[in-house]
Amino acid sequence: MTEIVLEHLTKRYPNGFEAVKDLSLEIKDDELLVLVGPSGCGKTTALRMIAGLEEISSGDLYIGGRRVNDVLERDRDIAMVFQNYALYPHMTVAQNIGFSLKLSGRSRQEVRQRVKETAELLGLEELLDRRPKQLSGGQRQRVAMGRAIIRQPQAFLMDEPLSNLDAQLRVQMRGEIEALQKRLGVTTVYVTHDQVEAMTMGDRIAVLREGVLQQVGHPTDVYDRPANLFIAGFIGSPPMNLAHAAIESRNGGLAARLGDATIPIPDEVAAEQGLAEWRDRTVILGIRPEDLHQSGADEKAGSDARLTPTVDRVEALGASLLVHFAVDAQPARTAGIAAATGEHGLEEVPLIGHEGAWFCAAFEPRSGVRTGNQVEITVDARRLHFFDPETEASVRPQKSAP
Amino acid sequence: MSTATTPAPPIPTPMRLGRRRRVGRTSARVLKLGAIVFFVVLFLTPLYILVVTSFKEAAETDPAHAWSLPSVWTFDAWRQAWTLLSPNLTNTFKLVIPATVISTVLGSLNGFVLSKWRFPGSDIVFTLFLFGMFIPYQAVMIPLTTLLADIHFPDQIPRLAFAHIVYGIPITTLIFRSYYATIPEELMEAARMDRAGMLRSYWSVVLPISAPAFVVTAIWQFTSIWNDFLFAVFIISDPAKWPITVAVNNTAGSLVTPYNLQMSAALLASLPTLVVYILLGRYFMRGLMAGALKG
Amino acid sequence: MRNVRRWGPGLLLVSPSIVLIAVFVYGLIGWNVKVSLSDWRQAEQTTGWAGLAAYRDLNSDPAWDESVHHILVFTGTFIVGALLFGLLLAFLLEKGVRGEGFFRSVYIFPLAVSFIAAGVVWRWLMNPAPGDRASGLNVAFDKLGVGFLANDWYLDQEWGMAAMAMPAIWALSGYIMALYLAGFRGVPEELREAARMDGASEWRVYRHVVFPHLRPVTLSALIILGHISIKVFDLVVAIGGKQLITQTPAVYMWILIYDAHDYAMGAAIATLLLIGISVLIIPYLVYTVRSEQRA
Repeated sequence: MTEIVLEHLTKRYPNGFEAVKDLSLEIKDDELLVLVGPSGCGKTTALRMIAGLEEISSGDLYIGGRRVNDVLERDRDIAMVFQNYALYPHMTVAQNIGFSLKLSGRSRQEVRQRVKETAELLGLEELLDRRPKQLSGGQRQRVAMGRAIIRQPQAFLMDEPLSNLDAQLRVQMRGEIEALQKRLGVTTVYVTHDQVEAMTMGDRIAVLREGVLQQVGHPTDVYDRPANLFIAGFIGSPPMNLAHAAIESRNGGLAARLGDATIPIPDEVAAEQGLAEWRDRTVILGIRPEDLHQSGADEKAGSDARLTPTVDRVEALGASLLVHFAVDAQPARTAGIAAATGEHGLEEVPLIGHEGAWFCAAFEPRSGVRTGNQVEITVDARRLHFFDPETEASVRPQKSAP
Repeated sequence: MSTATTPAPPIPTPMRLGRRRRVGRTSARVLKLGAIVFFVVLFLTPLYILVVTSFKEAAETDPAHAWSLPSVWTFDAWRQAWTLLSPNLTNTFKLVIPATVISTVLGSLNGFVLSKWRFPGSDIVFTLFLFGMFIPYQAVMIPLTTLLADIHFPDQIPRLAFAHIVYGIPITTLIFRSYYATIPEELMEAARMDRAGMLRSYWSVVLPISAPAFVVTAIWQFTSIWNDFLFAVFIISDPAKWPITVAVNNTAGSLVTPYNLQMSAALLASLPTLVVYILLGRYFMRGLMAGALKG
Repeated sequence: MRNVRRWGPGLLLVSPSIVLIAVFVYGLIGWNVKVSLSDWRQAEQTTGWAGLAAYRDLNSDPAWDESVHHILVFTGTFIVGALLFGLLLAFLLEKGVRGEGFFRSVYIFPLAVSFIAAGVVWRWLMNPAPGDRASGLNVAFDKLGVGFLANDWYLDQEWGMAAMAMPAIWALSGYIMALYLAGFRGVPEELREAARMDGASEWRVYRHVVFPHLRPVTLSALIILGHISIKVFDLVVAIGGKQLITQTPAVYMWILIYDAHDYAMGAAIATLLLIGISVLIIPYLVYTVRSEQRA
């Protein structure tokens, strides 16, 4: 039973900088937990503290029920896969994988046998006599994994193992790593800055920003119920549309005033999100591009949850058509959003001056919409998100993070 | 010039003397090439004199023939030099080989610890080591000989070797430390995660990839120790045990020694280091630059 | 907090070197200073306290004044010469020429030769003797019809030490060239191109873009050359032997100890040399190790 428990872990450097602040997290036995966040968020530092490669400034770390703060990395019975693989350049693949076993004094026979088994597991049998520099990136990555697997440790730690691979290989390896992890049934902590990777791989994901844990939960939970603006902007690509909106009373219920459009809010949504206290106040409203559909011809006409903008530009992505348009609402420009969008590499604002917000809707790929068209967009009001403009937190009454 | 005072400042960087081709104005380029060749001639002139004179008969070393090629090429001076100095050559070999080997190994171990297995105060220790490279050795020669005599350290060549080993620690440590700094920290961490301790990490991970640094350091030490004069003059009291540099100075210093013998002696003393330089000059230069500018 | 188990082994591995350096560098320096303050002025060692007597005697010693004068002339010529030639050679090569590797090796090869051997040939080159024992540059001048250029070289009363600097310049220019070459090539080509596109002439490009980059090199070079110069021993002995006219403090110290057995005064000179070097080197060391830490 290998649970990894972090209790109020902090990493403070001599100059006062805190890379990890009061991180409390419980990684369950056999689960694959992904630590995700932009660079500098402390995820790697946290991982290295678990590994024992970084000193813990304060807090407690338990692996398999044992407090390991003062235990040397070699005695924690965990294995690590490094971002740059860190393969021993002068050793063959077989020697690289078998190194730790050799050190523990197993017989040459046994080492050879176990290396063979591990290599088969990873499809490396043909490469056992090669040196790292003769291998491709993907192959090196697998050797690094083999080196970790052969030790049959209590837990795996992976530090952005796929970030040095090209996009296609990454997608393929993701699946392989996931399958491997399930098959071996070993508790794994996986660090990445790629939120797509996090979403597809993790049993649960933990989002970090500037050393502070933002939210932890199942990927769909985090996706559907982001706890703050940073997470809302960071998780999900293309990112969530965000702008200021006023909450008004309407027809006995509530509506969100977004620019010149008024979007009725279904009562269940208002109740679940506790919007009553936001009546006559301004919130930051969020709606994901895939929840903005092109209005079908057969939809109820006169439904007010509609926007009718002019298309500014389109991006044909093959699987969908991204339609960008202006919304006459105050854009949401908070620190959290800036940190999140920075990660998506987005431009700040399009060149043509427009004071309001820019939204993006994901249409069917062959809808034939072009720049300049006027379109009708249905807002799926059940999928609206609301955030406090001051605190950046979701207005939803929060359960505390596990 | 390699006495034990090596002219190597302590900032470690790999040397980058890569080539850049540029199209310049032809006349400027011709002038430049001319100047370059002129300096080549200038720089090689002493070598020319050394070689040419050493092959002359004694009679031909007069002013009239000072600069001309020998009319008769003869090994006379060489034979004489050899007879006089071959014991000293042996002395030098007996000195240089152990001293080079030991100081290189020490440098590797020190460089490894100071770059990859640090302890609190590593940098201070390193700086204190480095300072040892710059001191005027005269300052410590007398107490050194006294101390070694007091503890009955084996006299003559062993004492000289000991001195070179000790005072070679700074430069050998510097070269290795710079080199090991280029090993990614991740590699050491992976070894630690594989349960390797310090010695095991050194032996299995670092040492196998240290060959370039060993070559550079060995060549540098070989050259420095071979060419040293200062230490030898203070430490070796028995003329029979003089290394070649002291012997040459003694031979060539005398006013009655004919020029051809002086030159052949000097050349004899320089041959090994020159051969090493010609064959392995690249590594020599790397040792030279171990500590040059920040790139 | 910091785990001793982690760094303990490292410290242990380096400790022999630490002990050796502590004793043989710092311990002996201390011993040397002590001797300089003692009354050990004769062959028999005496350990009485004499305060600054040896220093005072040195101060009023005309031979000391001479040697200081000599080293100053030498240093000035040497530093300026080596910097200029080094810079010039680097400038000639920096844009790349065919056979650059060969040229570089030629300019650097003097460093592989001992100062003693070089001393032999340079003494021949700078031979001031007339008549039958004439040789070297004076003979060459004569043959080339510029006999009026012949002079006493290193035996010249006023400027002898400037002549003594010539072999040193010959030896070290290559090293300085290597330093400057790395400096030149550290200038990003885009900077030069941008300047050219802004209309700067090639000379201007050098002056405003390239040379500023070379200032740190010049600083390093100055310090290295300065420290070598203060310590220079082999070369002076090889060329000038023990003659008063070429004596430097380092050589004088040797004479005081070996011939005059005036240990305290010799130690005083050594201490002064050490202080001179420390003033140069300590700030340099601290600066470079600090900036390495920051990087």
